[in-house]
Amino acid sequence: MARPLVLELDGEEFSVSIKKIDRDQLYGSVEIEAYDEKGNPASLLILAADGKTLLDKGGTALATIDEKGNSIERSTLKAVSSAGKEISAVESSFNVTNHLKKAEVEDYLSQIVKSIYVIDPFDEETDLSFIQAHLAEGTIYKFPFSYRGGGIDPDNAFVIGNKTDAFIIVGKTARFQFAKLNQAVQLDSFEEQEISADDIDFDLL
Amino acid sequence: MAINIRNPKGRDAVVAFEAVIPQRDVHFVDEKGKPVVTQKLLKTDVEHDLDALLKKRKNLNALSKALIKEDPEIDIEEFGMFLTDTSKVYVSKKGIIHIVDEVEVVSKPDGTIRERRPRIKDPQNINTDVPLRWTGKFIDKDEAAHRFVFTHKRQLIHVNGLTFDFLYEMAKELHDRDSLLLIRGGEKGDQPIVMQRGGKPYNAFLEGRIDGDAYLLVLQLSNMELKRPALQEESPESDTSTTESESRVKGDAAPKKKPAVKKASAKSAEDKIVEKQAAVVEKKKTVKAATSPSKGKPAATEKTKDAAKATTTKSTTKDAKPKSKARASSKK
Repeated sequence: MARPLVLELDGEEFSVSIKKIDRDQLYGSVEIEAYDEKGNPASLLILAADGKTLLDKGGTALATIDEKGNSIERSTLKAVSSAGKEISAVESSFNVTNHLKKAEVEDYLSQIVKSIYVIDPFDEETDLSFIQAHLAEGTIYKFPFSYRGGGIDPDNAFVIGNKTDAFIIVGKTARFQFAKLNQAVQLDSFEEQEISADDIDFDLL
Repeated sequence: MAINIRNPKGRDAVVAFEAVIPQRDVHFVDEKGKPVVTQKLLKTDVEHDLDALLKKRKNLNALSKALIKEDPEIDIEEFGMFLTDTSKVYVSKKGIIHIVDEVEVVSKPDGTIRERRPRIKDPQNINTDVPLRWTGKFIDKDEAAHRFVFTHKRQLIHVNGLTFDFLYEMAKELHDRDSLLLIRGGEKGDQPIVMQRGGKPYNAFLEGRIDGDAYLLVLQLSNMELKRPALQEESPESDTSTTESESRVKGDAAPKKKPAVKKASAKSAEDKIVEKQAAVVEKKKTVKAATSPSKGKPAATEKTKDAAKATTTKSTTKDAKPKSKARASSKK
């Protein structure tokens, strides 16, 4: 059974369930079918740099290697901050009470969005009118969020509402840099180019 | 990457347009405290997958015996090699193909197929001879945050002293207004932003911030409104995927021969949706009085804050019209 996510605002706790939403659920989706000149179906595969090895989904693996190129077990790795301080794993947000703090709209707009959830009361006893009323006024709240726990770097979760519904937007803060006069960048000679394979979007409507 | 953009005075300039990465203050080290890196390896290829092996062995029993005795699924020479500079290719039963007919299968939110049509790849419109247009259509930051999901961001950065002034002024105006500005592309200035040929169209909103003599100009990109879907699946998904839908190409599941497709309509459904979102910026409605939880009474009796903003925006938009005429003449 799904577990509730417990949000706490001004000393009041609310058990909510969250459901992930995406663009396809709002507007539909597009899949691409590909065919060769004779109308035979074609599929998209990965071609290795040798020009002959073809890989399908699941044909690649990720390995962690040390400075000498030796493979290392991930379980032996330690997570550290930039200052070299060891970082401990965070607990799942479903196991703790999540305290909501007010957030500025600039904080919210600085997020690189990963997931969007719609909030509903977990059960019939839960009344979200208190939190909904605050959200309807335009207030945005935030709390650190980890879906499964065990990770070392929790995401930011922003609780935001429109007139009727409340949502949780999960993301990471973007690394913006205020630009000064002496920080000009070199301009790439960018012309219209063939799209990189990694950038192909197949869900165009 | 570069972007050609016009300022409120109708002057245009080509400036840098950079992707934004998330802040991350976590690194992994080995037991000795030395840094480690992640590398992509070749695990298996199509010549060693089940279908290919079955062609040689005819049945699963023979194959299972061979797997134990001969390890035909492993290529000792190739597997485990580092993968770099890979590319994606279309492969039919004749091998790698270079001339591909792509068909879009458009589905409704409930999963039913709406139409099949040839795929048309529109060119990018961020760095062409026609600069992106400063539309003069502003939307309050708070309102934008509550109505749209900004799934992607790009930062605009100057490339010399002249473009520093150019971008700083733009950022300052947006900062002072505390608003986002709708940016449009195309000759008529009515198209959403397309960043690569065949890429997704986005509604683009320019955000500006000022910190002393430094500026931050961010293009906030949205292709989704913040609202509850009419149809929603029951089970919540895990947090592993992103809002960016994964690339999906039908291969095995596709029909054996190319089915008939309708001629693509002049305006795609995606464009219509993006236009609908953009219309929100252009056409604002008076908001009904909301209840204040602290006071227990309507927050506004006559006109809400939003309504006031809407009025301001409308007047701003009206004001922008004669300016755009002036810009057109100044461009000549």
